[in-house]
Amino acid sequence: MERDLVEYIVKSLVEDPDAVEIKVIEGEKSTILELKVAEGDVGKVIGKNGRIARAIRTILSASASAQSKRVILEILD
Amino acid sequence: MIYEFEGKTEREAIEEAASQLGLETDEFDVEIMESQSGSLFKKGKVRIRVHTHGQDEGDIAVQVQAPRQEMVPAASAARETAEPGEPLVPNDEFELKMIEWVKTVVEKMGYPAKVSVLFREEKKIGLKIETDNTAMIIGKKGKNIDALQLLANVYAGRQGREDVKIILDSENYRIRREESLVRIAYESAEQVRKTGRSVLLEPMNPFERRIIHTTLNDIVDIETKSEGDGLYKQVRVMFRGRK
Repeated sequence: MERDLVEYIVKSLVEDPDAVEIKVIEGEKSTILELKVAEGDVGKVIGKNGRIARAIRTILSASASAQSKRVILEILD
Repeated sequence: MIYEFEGKTEREAIEEAASQLGLETDEFDVEIMESQSGSLFKKGKVRIRVHTHGQDEGDIAVQVQAPRQEMVPAASAARETAEPGEPLVPNDEFELKMIEWVKTVVEKMGYPAKVSVLFREEKKIGLKIETDNTAMIIGKKGKNIDALQLLANVYAGRQGREDVKIILDSENYRIRREESLVRIAYESAEQVRKTGRSVLLEPMNPFERRIIHTTLNDIVDIETKSEGDGLYKQVRVMFRGRK
């Protein structure tokens, strides 16, 4: 499931894995994942020029479940 | 098994085949696929197909191209490579951790996977991903496997190993991509020469652009230049004329 996937990746990259929260908002045609991390970790999940966030989104859209439904990742700060 | 090789001349292609396969030239049959002799403007090219008689590992035709000398990494002496069907045993906890990480991510994407050590160099570790959905794992122009590789490297850095670069591969995608880039380079050079107009290639990452630059570096009448900003720049192939 997308939530698990994002959670695993994000937790492996941040300093404070316990602060990682993901809220899933299921829509009819798309699923929105709202990601919250510790303040000091926001930069780690976004990366220089958004490279890391982009890579996570790419992986997400390549996942099997994303083939039938659009999955959107929002990073809250 | 059937393999394909390329060389500037028929002899060169056959010698290349012999050295790559580790066989004597009389141990395989050669079939000439395509033969263009060189001219003033063009390098000659001969494509051959080699049939070996050893134990068949199924009917897979493997595309192997003669590696260009300048592209062979200098550090290859210290390289350990897994034999087909015989992956290298993970060396240490770090390698085990990386394998576990890649395997978990790919499986959480919904694709059961096997991950093993493909090669080991001084500052590089190659991991191989085997799944039933290779196309999905690689993605268009390697988009997905590159994203996965980027994140794997960030994770490796988090383990305090910024000193090594993790390379992810699946079904020899990296080599196949390299071959297709070399082909794109030659084709665009040919087009530039024919039309006299420069050609702008699609956006590529630094590694891919380097292959284009080095491939065309020794062609006197062609010049290459990167254009644009960011990680994905475009290479322009231009006609310089003969000197």
